[in-house]
Amino acid sequence: MMMSEFFSIFEYQFFQNAIAAAVLTSVIASMVGTYMVSRKIVFIGGGITHASFGGIGLAYYMGLNPFAGAAVFAVMTALGIEWISDKGKVREDSAIAVLWSLGMALGIIFVFITPGYTPNLMTFLFGSILSVGIPDLLLLLFFAIFLVILFLVFFRPILYTAFDPEFAKTKGIAVSLYRYMMSVVMALAIVLSIRTVGIILVLSIFTIPQITAMIFTRDFRKVIPWAAALGAFGSVAGLVAAYALDIPASAAVIFFLTIQFLIIKAFFMLTGRLLNLRLKNMFYRYKKD
Amino acid sequence: MSNPLLVLENVSTGYFSQTVLEEINLKVYPDDFIGIIGPNGGGKTTLVKLILGLQPLFSGRIYFPVGKLRTGYLPQATQVDRSFPITVKEVVSSGLKIRNPLFPHLTSTQKTRVDQMLEDAGLAGLASRPIGELSGGQLQKTLLCRALVEKPHLLILDEPNSHVDKKFERELYGWLGELSREMAILLVSHDIGTITPMVKTIACVNHSLHYHPSNQISEEMLKVYNCPVDIIAHGPVPHRVLRVHDDE
Repeated sequence: MMMSEFFSIFEYQFFQNAIAAAVLTSVIASMVGTYMVSRKIVFIGGGITHASFGGIGLAYYMGLNPFAGAAVFAVMTALGIEWISDKGKVREDSAIAVLWSLGMALGIIFVFITPGYTPNLMTFLFGSILSVGIPDLLLLLFFAIFLVILFLVFFRPILYTAFDPEFAKTKGIAVSLYRYMMSVVMALAIVLSIRTVGIILVLSIFTIPQITAMIFTRDFRKVIPWAAALGAFGSVAGLVAAYALDIPASAAVIFFLTIQFLIIKAFFMLTGRLLNLRLKNMFYRYKKD
Repeated sequence: MSNPLLVLENVSTGYFSQTVLEEINLKVYPDDFIGIIGPNGGGKTTLVKLILGLQPLFSGRIYFPVGKLRTGYLPQATQVDRSFPITVKEVVSSGLKIRNPLFPHLTSTQKTRVDQMLEDAGLAGLASRPIGELSGGQLQKTLLCRALVEKPHLLILDEPNSHVDKKFERELYGWLGELSREMAILLVSHDIGTITPMVKTIACVNHSLHYHPSNQISEEMLKVYNCPVDIIAHGPVPHRVLRVHDDE
């Protein structure tokens, strides 16, 4: 493939849309994902994601927009899990597993009994970033702007209720309100991202850039912009690689995000060790003198 | 005698339908330094959470005769997730109340207060460190600053000496001695040998609460009030004093 031929891909509308979708999804995931990773509730994200498949199936059956169905199921699941963990009457992890598999089961049943045309399940399972249209992009853009404003204004209560909810309560913060609000935000962010990377791969975009960012900084405030930048870079690189190597786009994105994490992790481990060695040498030389 | 800061009147509380504390009565005055002792599972932490408003009231009444009570709370070390990506300065800032829920940012006076607090505690150099990089003592100090940053009327400490070394423990008790001149303190500990010389009075919590208006603990007292706690003495060599044999 010629160089000029390779770069001509950037002139296509569908590819520009895909890049915009990847960047916007990364921005959305940077905020919500940092919250999830910090609170160690990525597994809840998994439950929400898979339960939303039930909504997709039901919407198809009723002839509605599948993503609206997914959003309803996702929000209900998120609120349900938060309620269960708040009340503490059922084991949270078991409840998540039940909703996770129930959602998938409902989705498959509804799609199966829908008469006539059966939708391409692969689109939902693996996303279809290359067919993202302008309305999708606008939706992603509005949600990203909403999240940026939400995090700028309510940064302190969001952080404090995530870090130590009991203590936050003693300072008069409406902890339950913030937790339920963040559950809804999480659910919507996940559903919007399913469009780009699909149900099976969506969790990675909420996790991998965040844990990569945490190699550089362990300050919640700084993890978010780092995660956004790393997510955007990794996913655009993944899209380009998908085109060059002719492999599925969403899988390539996830693969690139993971490679990026491994390279940075390895680099820091190596340089960290070298730095330690050098400091030790300096120390011994100092002792000899 | 001045008015109490806090009054608990015939209070009962618990989890779900199980009552953990029954018919508790306690008054906390501004110059109090109360040691809360009792066996594990006796309800010490539940009492603390009740006072902080984190625990539902089954029956009875809690009130604040001198107006709104500002509390500073140092939870048990296990409550805090050390791997959470948050800095020392942010943790201390979280001790400040949010003045306006629709604009929950720190005011400039609050920012100065946080810096002052970090400076006073000798934590200024660690301000931008994530809490995961701190020693057990440094983390407790950070959490103590979080409790103190709003100049509370009542400081509540739940087992502050677990997960820290002896050197920090001594330092901590030194500070508490000083702080007790400025605020009321409730100190929860299972280690009554260490806290009794410091506190002014003792409350023994074991399903019910027995208040001892002095810091002297006798075996009779513990037996009468059904407080099955160990009395531990500290010396140059760690040791445990056992009862004198009857034939000696």
